[in-house]
Amino acid sequence: MNPDVVAAIGRLRADTVLSGPQAAFFDRVARRDLVSIRLEIRLLLYVGVLLLTSGVGVLVVEHQHEIGPLAIAGALGLAAAGCLVWVARHALPFSWRAVESPNVAFDYVLLLGLLLFASDLGYVEAQFTMLGPRWPHHLLIVGVIYLLAAYRWDSRVVLGLALTTLAAWRGVSLSVMPGPLAPHGTDDLRANAIVIGLIYVALATLSVRLERKAHFEEVFGNTGLLLVLGALVSFVLESSGWGVWLGALVFIAVLVMWTSFALGRSLYFAEAVVAAYVGLLRLLFAGEASSLAFLVAALLGAGALALIFAAHRRMVER
Amino acid sequence: MRPDVVAWERAAEVREAAEGWRRAGAIDTSTYDAIVNAYPDPCVTPSAVWRVLTAVMVTAIVLCTLGALALATKPEATAFSLLLLALGAAALIVTERLEASPRWARRGAAGATAFWGGVFVLGGLALFLSEDRRIPWERTLQIVLFASALIWAASCWRWGSPVFAGLSAVSLFLVLGRLPFGRVLWVLIGASLVGLVARLPDKPGGAPSHRCSAMVLLVAGVAAVYGSLNVYSLDAYLLERFQKYTPSHPVLPSWRFVLGAIATAALPPLILLWAWTSRRVVLLDTSVVLLALSLVTLRHYVHLAPLWVVLTASGALLIVLALAVERALRHSPGGERSGFTADALFSDERRQRIFQTVPVVAAFTPAAAPAAATEEKGFAGRGGTFGGGGASDRF
Repeated sequence: MNPDVVAAIGRLRADTVLSGPQAAFFDRVARRDLVSIRLEIRLLLYVGVLLLTSGVGVLVVEHQHEIGPLAIAGALGLAAAGCLVWVARHALPFSWRAVESPNVAFDYVLLLGLLLFASDLGYVEAQFTMLGPRWPHHLLIVGVIYLLAAYRWDSRVVLGLALTTLAAWRGVSLSVMPGPLAPHGTDDLRANAIVIGLIYVALATLSVRLERKAHFEEVFGNTGLLLVLGALVSFVLESSGWGVWLGALVFIAVLVMWTSFALGRSLYFAEAVVAAYVGLLRLLFAGEASSLAFLVAALLGAGALALIFAAHRRMVER
Repeated sequence: MRPDVVAWERAAEVREAAEGWRRAGAIDTSTYDAIVNAYPDPCVTPSAVWRVLTAVMVTAIVLCTLGALALATKPEATAFSLLLLALGAAALIVTERLEASPRWARRGAAGATAFWGGVFVLGGLALFLSEDRRIPWERTLQIVLFASALIWAASCWRWGSPVFAGLSAVSLFLVLGRLPFGRVLWVLIGASLVGLVARLPDKPGGAPSHRCSAMVLLVAGVAAVYGSLNVYSLDAYLLERFQKYTPSHPVLPSWRFVLGAIATAALPPLILLWAWTSRRVVLLDTSVVLLALSLVTLRHYVHLAPLWVVLTASGALLIVLALAVERALRHSPGGERSGFTADALFSDERRQRIFQTVPVVAAFTPAAAPAAATEEKGFAGRGGTFGGGGASDRF
């Protein structure tokens, strides 16, 4: 029970701010006479998909010789098809605007179907070597399929997966696995990350301008900025000619901060502030760490804090 | 907590509820405005992004200040411990000032200064006891853990953060675990904690953040009781490993094993029953986690089936269970059964959906392809961890 809200509902009803039915319904929720378990259902579905795909993975790893490649590929394909057929039958008609999921399970059955499809494709490629030395291209196929599915069935989750899979195809990891944005990535991979990130940012802009799934802008934008700013920070921290990269990082970060004002996007602003601060620390600690460097870093932090407060006061968030 | 801060929190609770009602379309804008006017909240309350960003920058400032002072003075161990204590005290004073100001109280800065204040005081105390007083490390650790329980509890009492309640509970149970009969103390104190705080979240007199902290303590108490009675924890002498001198452990007597097994099986359903009757979602979530842990424990001792069968079957079972629950609720009169509903009610669906993208992408994104894609094949994780299917082994 939330006693403060319960008391407030009583007062608001007495002051006729709330109608009788409104107050009665709100009171039930505030007293915990009616509780939503929608989030719990979602969590169960998510963990279920996680366990199921892991189980399938273990099965294939441990028993592929006993079962045989054709049987495994066929079974995975059938399971994936089953999920995707269910999704197709329950989906609402396509629209360039946001489309509500027909039910709470929809996103997860779609996710399961696509993951099983990706597993099947990866297994088939491994067993039958259709792509030969270009086998990582199967990630391109998977990424494109994810992208199409995200647009058709209006899934931000699948879109996020598509973007990170396409980045993985170009060697850029946004997963928790070590990747080029971690220390010791190569310059080529960082450059790849910047290019992919810029493409994603461009797609974010286009989706809003053309009003084609405009609500995908956040997923495109955040993924793109993470890639661009992460790669630039990585250049600054790892590269020998870091001064130029620091200039580029600060320029891009300021640009992002400026743009985030117009868009009312606090997360873009936050990503830019943190990236710029980390980059500037490289400048301060280029030589031996001294008390002056730490002091300036603290003052720089205070400056960033002032900027954050000023930005928060003026930004109209959307 | 200061009375004015409690009053601000209460107003914020009502305004947040009204925001949910408006978002769900249950009230119109004029009603919302009337509610907001009736419950004025003078505090500036930025969104979570701003608060986290502020906390990160305050952390950077605090740590850099410590670095600057340490390098400028190059203190010995005792002097450094005094520096930590002084800086910790300063951070706590700043927290008190920030919390008193409606302009600053909810920006994330006060939480960060309170946290680092506590950490510095505890670090300074540890260094002072071990280096200046030459107290053996094991005893120092015990004292610091005890101080940690007190400091975080005081911070929670004064500033109301549930995170501090959690830190205090963890410190307390670590202290207890290092005492003789630590396991018994876990059960006794854990059960007492549950009994003590169970009714607090519904009590009208308390501050909203204290009610939230009470829920954290409730979960900590339940976890402590379960952790001490779980049969694997008993069998592997997990809690006894906290103690300084761990005697060689004999094989667990069969009666203790049986009791542990019964407790492992019985506790999750009991908590589930409690959650069901009290309709507390936090307890429901806790019981589901405990149930999963009990099933993992069962699997450890009884190999019912190969791992892939267990994983696949439990995954499928969870999906079917979730669908069945949702369908049952959806088809019940009024979309509810026993006070539970699958509707979103007044929660922020949009925010939940954005947040659910992160764990999905983190868990299922395949590993990056190698730069030169000419490696020897096998179905390797490198080309995608099982094509993004969630497993990470080679075929």
